[in-house]
Amino acid sequence: MIRSLSDFARLAREKGPKKMAVLAPEDEEFMLAVKKSSELGYIEPVLIGNSKKIDEAAEKVAFNISSFQKISGDELQGISDLGIRMLFSGEAPIAGKGQIPTSYIYRSIIREEAKAGSDMTVSVVTFWEIPGIDHLVVFTDTGVNIKPDLKAKGEIIKNAVFVYHLLGCPRPKIAVLSGQREVGGKLTSYEDYEALQKEAAAGDFGSCEVVPATSFTDIFMGGRDQRVDYGNITGEGMPHILLVPCLDTGNVICKLDFFLDVTRSSLVATSRGPVCIPARSDFNDNIVQQIAMSVVLADRMEKEVQ
Amino acid sequence: MLNSFKEILAAAKQSGAKKLVVPSPAATDLPLLAEASAAGLIIPILVGAGGTLPALVGGSPLAVEKYELVEENDPGSILSRAIALIRSGEDILMQGGAAPQELLEALRDKEQGLLPKGGVVSYVSIFSLLKREKLILVTDTFINNNPTLVEKQQILMNALQLARILGIEAPKVAVLAAIEQVNPGIPSTLDAAILSKMGERRQFGKAIVEGPLDIDCALSQVAAGRKGLQSAVTGNVDIYLVPEIDTGHLLAEALVFFGKMQTVGMVMGTSKPVILNLPFVSAANRLMEIALACLACPKGGTNG
Repeated sequence: MIRSLSDFARLAREKGPKKMAVLAPEDEEFMLAVKKSSELGYIEPVLIGNSKKIDEAAEKVAFNISSFQKISGDELQGISDLGIRMLFSGEAPIAGKGQIPTSYIYRSIIREEAKAGSDMTVSVVTFWEIPGIDHLVVFTDTGVNIKPDLKAKGEIIKNAVFVYHLLGCPRPKIAVLSGQREVGGKLTSYEDYEALQKEAAAGDFGSCEVVPATSFTDIFMGGRDQRVDYGNITGEGMPHILLVPCLDTGNVICKLDFFLDVTRSSLVATSRGPVCIPARSDFNDNIVQQIAMSVVLADRMEKEVQ
Repeated sequence: MLNSFKEILAAAKQSGAKKLVVPSPAATDLPLLAEASAAGLIIPILVGAGGTLPALVGGSPLAVEKYELVEENDPGSILSRAIALIRSGEDILMQGGAAPQELLEALRDKEQGLLPKGGVVSYVSIFSLLKREKLILVTDTFINNNPTLVEKQQILMNALQLARILGIEAPKVAVLAAIEQVNPGIPSTLDAAILSKMGERRQFGKAIVEGPLDIDCALSQVAAGRKGLQSAVTGNVDIYLVPEIDTGHLLAEALVFFGKMQTVGMVMGTSKPVILNLPFVSAANRLMEIALACLACPKGGTNG
């Protein structure tokens, strides 16, 4: 089972290079990540976007892109559609976005999923590598669904379980997070937890388990009748997947890597392969990590399909 | 300006002992009350059944400190008696053995509560940063589920009040949302934009209110710069205002359990300070909460 981000880096070197449709790599930071990923043997980029801006960005980071396929385009939705179509047609097993708003990418994915008849809900999984915890932890959905209802949350869980199965974890544990506490009545997020736990037990999401914990107090202390003791915070029993109640919560918490000693890496797992979607504020090393993760998942998805 | 819990404690010790009222105290509360009393922060007033209180105190470290007992033999009246003591001039209310929901409802009671007309009761968590000496405020992390824009305005005013008690003259506020752009499809971004505009028009006094901000822009000036956002708030936030309780409560817990950040908190908006008993506040930090409440005691006004 893949347990750390360094596992992804090691495996990406083994399984790469894979063709990656790179959408609008017009920013130095992102282009530098593409350069590093190419030099590490992870990817063979297909550069799609404004040729002049791509050339300028490549020049600024001293990246010789003459040997790579380039497809010129200026219109952002067109660039996104083209790259995602390459993914769904099998021409490129990975797509990745540069300086292009994520909403364009999601729109393209939703269209292609509809065409493919997969009915797959688009959602983002954000991995955290946390010191002292012996496996990666996923927050989801951290990018697409603003306020998912119960049905959408079920689909989001299915996507994350699919990813975890690809990592080699046959029965991931899931915590459905909620702000439920001793006041304020029962929150919708808690009602969803109760329903999702039953659905998971009935096998609706494949092999997985929704654990009886909805808060970090529950997860770290086993219940709310204890008091935090900083010397004894271990994270033992940490679930693999943390389903967030809404996009606000997901985004606020998953990007705490800017503050805390954790490392973050995100992607969208479509029915045809991963889409690497670094935040516009991410730095090149972080983006390289996300590309490595996409390479490994693409490799495992290819094998799954075969 | 107070930048650490130690500084809060030191400042509170200078402010003189306050009368702290505890309804239905538990035996586990007494060592804390004794410590706070010995430090000169408080004189505890314990409210409960007359027959039980002396025995409870007798075997505890509080027995050698200064304290007062108020007899209330009707279990259903202990909390209201405690609140009545605050209304008649005592300084601080502590949750004690009251159930949190019952306590909140009592605080909000129009006739007998502690909430001024038009006010909103909210909870502010204060965290001590790990890498530099600075305190940050996060609100609302416990009380309001899905505050309206009007309620968010009050919640922010409550937090600003607490920030000013800490000596932050012009607090920098990040109104958090999922993204930093105003998106009509994401209601939190609309509220954030309106609050930001209100701040620009000085409706919150001397404060810089920026929103919507996603957490990366709030935490890092460099990250914000990469998204084309320039603001005095980014990378140096004093107050984080969250959109709703799922985010607020989980954020506070995440900072404690993943970040191992020390935290204290206080109810704001009430006419006198109120201290809750939350599981993610450590035993050691409960003393700091009492110190904070001492500093927040009104000098003729309200604390929110």
